[in-house]
Amino acid sequence: MKTDLVRTDVVRLEIFKHLFASIPEEMGAALQRASFSPNIKERRDFSCALFDAQGEMIAQAAHIPVHLGAMPLSVQSAIRSLSFAEGDMVVLNDPYHGGTHLPDITLIAPIFAAGALVGFAANRAHHADVGGMAPGSMPIARELVQEGLILPPVKLLAGGDVQAGVWDIILRNTRSPQERAGDLRAQIAANQRGVRRFGELVAAYGLQEVQHYAAALLDYTERLTRALISTLPDGRFEFEDALDDDGLGNGPLPIRVRIDIAGGQATVDFAGTAPQAQGSVNAVYAITLSAVYYVFRCLVDAEVPNNTGSLRAIRVLAPEGSLVNARPPAPVAGGNVETSQRIVDVLLGALAQALPAHIPAASQGTMNNTLIGGWDAARGRAFTYYETIAGGMGARPTAHGPSGVHSHMTNTLNTPAEAMEYAYPIQVLCYELRPGTGGAGRFRGGDGLRRDLLLQSEATASLLSERRTSQPYGLAGGEPGAAGENVLIRGGAAQPLPAKGEVQLRPGDVLSIRTPGGGGWGTPDAL
Amino acid sequence: MRIGVDTGGTFTDFVVFDPASGQLDTFKRLSTPHDPAAAILDGLAQLAGNGQRHIVHGSTVATNAVLERKGAKVALVNTQGFRDLLQIGRQNRPALYDFLANPPAPLVPRADRLEVAERIAADGRVQTPLDEAALDALVAHCQREGIEAVAICLLFSFANPAHEQAVAARFAAAGFNVSVSHHILPEFREYERASTTVLNAYVSPVMSRYLNKLAAALPADHLQIMQSNGGMAGPRLAGEQAVRCILSGPAGGLVGAQAVAGAAGYARILTFDMGGTSTDVALIDGAAQVSRSSQIGGLPVHVPMLAIHTVGSGGGSIAWRDAGGGLQVGPHSAGADPGPAAYGRGELPTVTDANVLLGRIRPDQFFGGRMPLDTARAEAAFARLAAELGISVEECQLGAVHIANAHMARALRVISVEKGHDPRDFTLLAFGGAGGLHAADLARALGMPRVLAPRHAATLSALGMLLADVVKDYSRTVMLPGVTPAAELDMRLAPLLSSAQAELAAEGVAAADMQFQPSADLRYAGQSFELNLPLGPQLLADFHRAHQEAYGYHDVEAAVEIVNLRVQAIGLTQRPHLPAFEPSTQPIESCVLGHYPVRFASGLVDTPFYDGARLGAGQRFAGPAVVVRPDTTILVGEGDHAEVDAFLNLVITIGGVA
Repeated sequence: MKTDLVRTDVVRLEIFKHLFASIPEEMGAALQRASFSPNIKERRDFSCALFDAQGEMIAQAAHIPVHLGAMPLSVQSAIRSLSFAEGDMVVLNDPYHGGTHLPDITLIAPIFAAGALVGFAANRAHHADVGGMAPGSMPIARELVQEGLILPPVKLLAGGDVQAGVWDIILRNTRSPQERAGDLRAQIAANQRGVRRFGELVAAYGLQEVQHYAAALLDYTERLTRALISTLPDGRFEFEDALDDDGLGNGPLPIRVRIDIAGGQATVDFAGTAPQAQGSVNAVYAITLSAVYYVFRCLVDAEVPNNTGSLRAIRVLAPEGSLVNARPPAPVAGGNVETSQRIVDVLLGALAQALPAHIPAASQGTMNNTLIGGWDAARGRAFTYYETIAGGMGARPTAHGPSGVHSHMTNTLNTPAEAMEYAYPIQVLCYELRPGTGGAGRFRGGDGLRRDLLLQSEATASLLSERRTSQPYGLAGGEPGAAGENVLIRGGAAQPLPAKGEVQLRPGDVLSIRTPGGGGWGTPDAL
Repeated sequence: MRIGVDTGGTFTDFVVFDPASGQLDTFKRLSTPHDPAAAILDGLAQLAGNGQRHIVHGSTVATNAVLERKGAKVALVNTQGFRDLLQIGRQNRPALYDFLANPPAPLVPRADRLEVAERIAADGRVQTPLDEAALDALVAHCQREGIEAVAICLLFSFANPAHEQAVAARFAAAGFNVSVSHHILPEFREYERASTTVLNAYVSPVMSRYLNKLAAALPADHLQIMQSNGGMAGPRLAGEQAVRCILSGPAGGLVGAQAVAGAAGYARILTFDMGGTSTDVALIDGAAQVSRSSQIGGLPVHVPMLAIHTVGSGGGSIAWRDAGGGLQVGPHSAGADPGPAAYGRGELPTVTDANVLLGRIRPDQFFGGRMPLDTARAEAAFARLAAELGISVEECQLGAVHIANAHMARALRVISVEKGHDPRDFTLLAFGGAGGLHAADLARALGMPRVLAPRHAATLSALGMLLADVVKDYSRTVMLPGVTPAAELDMRLAPLLSSAQAELAAEGVAAADMQFQPSADLRYAGQSFELNLPLGPQLLADFHRAHQEAYGYHDVEAAVEIVNLRVQAIGLTQRPHLPAFEPSTQPIESCVLGHYPVRFASGLVDTPFYDGARLGAGQRFAGPAVVVRPDTTILVGEGDHAEVDAFLNLVITIGGVA
């Protein structure tokens, strides 16, 4: 029987790859179209995935890289905490129980066939507000509980019915309950879609066949990843870079990595990284795993399925209680959206020694998180605006780095200036490139951006940004990209703002975010 | 006489309808890519007959200008502060896991992206007056730099076009070809509006030159151009708004598919147009679906276009072994050069080679026997791949076909299942060169009950052009509360309706042949996607119901926004009826070309090959079978049943599904 399966594998395997992959893609289409917040709909800050009964990820729709390694840990956490019945759905955001940072709310639906648990459909979406100290729930905090409502794995639906108690607790703990309700309903609908499609697959092919090929696909991805790693020279590659600060005056905070390549296996060790910080730049292990996964995923040429098979060929060691594997009660809002970018920077810096002809110089290395909330006097309602802002990408060994794009761990869209003005008391005055901010080199780093926001109401802004002191490194003799700047223009006078912090804004104030350029690659040609 | 002319990459197709006799004829000419008009004029010169000819033309001129980046030299004028709007786009990168991927280069370089101080607020109020004095320098720049066309996109110009009008007037006075955003796409979201406007400026001069030349060569004929929305427009408008013609040919294919399927009695179809390097699929549920957010060459185009989903998988897709030991098909294609191994120059095994080796394409009957195939070359290519994979050559060939089908099944799922349609309720309509060989297996995989292989499968786009109406789309972002009284909506709609009426009249449409379909895009306040609904007395209730159907929930308490108002204006044309045929009396055996071995999953099967040209109405036969037509081959699978209908379409009933 085994030989038979092996003989048919290559064709059936490829067909199942498509069948599995189309399920989270369809879930994503449903989630995006039905959700309410611009953050999910316009910016597509969400991911959908399909899991087997043990919580191994079979397929993920490629939406947001930072969710890649993190989703499986959510499902495994739910499996550890709860037992399931048909029609149940679990909600969680606890970074220390399967989450990453509080705004990312994950919904997990068990899938049953003939009474037996056969898998899970899950999706994660970034909610614009889940309470806490500041609008947008990414404040400069000192402990997790200040960042917002914490949801350990609990059932949001039982037997198909919404649990009113849990539902009400969530909505009472956010500044924008109506929007949250709409987004959660969309998340529920997306998972229900995934459950239905998986059930149809089992009905069409039989459970045994589906399970066999789910497992075979994980093996296949593992083989592809090992094949890639075996093309790398054996050896030890080390690199260190740092976060500017934790928002409370502590910094720089080094992140150190050592990659050992030997015989088709990679060991990635973050020993030597700074201890977890006081401020909210701590990454939980899921984030670190996602960053590692992302980097290796980029190195594989083929259309590799997005599943956990690739992680089998890579061991990730992150010291407990460090910046890259934080323990409670450390605050974590920025781990997901800032520290993850620096983890990628150090991984690429190390791999550039193994693969000098493939690895780009450092990209902007931040997401320039901008959160603004307050009372919209003209519309008579509270508002919360959240956006990440693109910058320069690092130059490649063969080409200039693109300007004004999102790099690495995020790829969310901007909010159009016209959509902003319809939705918020905020006007975009300027959205343009910063020429010359990309690092010089044989190939130039991409330029950063400038985005100026004119406030029409009183509001509180939270900034969570990086590379305001340090600069994205160049490679092979290329110059670093320019650092970013945060500026407040009040009454025509410009004053610098910190990389991370809160600022009270008045009507007429202009918040000007200027994002870093990418590093250059190669010594600039002599003229 | 009415003539549909579709310019394709290889052939220019002609479908000729004589209303007096009811006769419908088709023929082809080799395309002349460097001067597409040459093939058209050559073909038209062959036609006898007198009286005015009414020619509807599907052109690839606008498409190719974009894909090959051979459009006009364009400058873009933006609101101050937004010079880089076109380059930044939505700030996302095109591929998540590829360091080397580049966002598409903007059609206008930074030096020609100009700014002017001005600002209109969301409610249309002038917040910063237009700096008219600064315009002289911008005009001078364009004159100095040899700019051919100017695109103008200012913020909130759809709410108050005064500033755009003033800028446009200045450039027009200086002799520039001008595309203005409130005219091309008066809808919010500035990047998509700017991109659409720039694309128009980029292709319009090229398209206008081409159409002027064509019109000059055909002074006695009435010429109309197929637009991407499935309707026709006159050459002047098609030149000025060439962005509306970017999917001209494929739109004709959908109109043709809808008409052919409708006549045959099938209202719900999935179309499947498989070519050498790519495959187009579309869903028709009574009518073709309209997309208001398409892309061409990675650039957004937000004018309404018939929704066509393209995947890079076709007959030329190459089968290969990946590093994990898996069999892959595509995305690399052997293209036209070197082409599949069997064409005599390529080395790598393709889907077409697999079909030849599986016995589904007879090497001596390819393209009516005009193109002999090198099977030994194809065999060698698959032998190498099978050895690498450690499987038999037969498994490898069947595997390549099955995997190609999996790619296309996924494409069909995207347009059906992901949009809430069950493919089991649809008929699969196959056209294009390679579609007929894969359609039955694809239908089986998706649980679809039947395949329709139209008589005019190879000239369906040109046929569609004959059947098209004049169609024009008008829109305006209004951003009103859902509770806005109907009288106010009517007032806002009035200018759209009057433009529609005037432009239809200008195209020579009689008032009795005009139809207007007003609609509105609605959403719950806070959402970012809209649902389009016909404007009726129960608009809000209709919206809640549609939202429930589309997304599984609705909320009657939530505030609703009316984002855009739209009018589709249709000028009905006199359409030819597809000719029906009497049942054939000849025995089915007389249509058999021979019996040949064909490989199926069950093994080699001695299979009858039918001459498609000889098959008559009412004839039926069981699968497995192969139908050979001059330009395409159709596979009827094991357990399937085929019947020729009164319009000479082949209808395959899929075994075990229905």
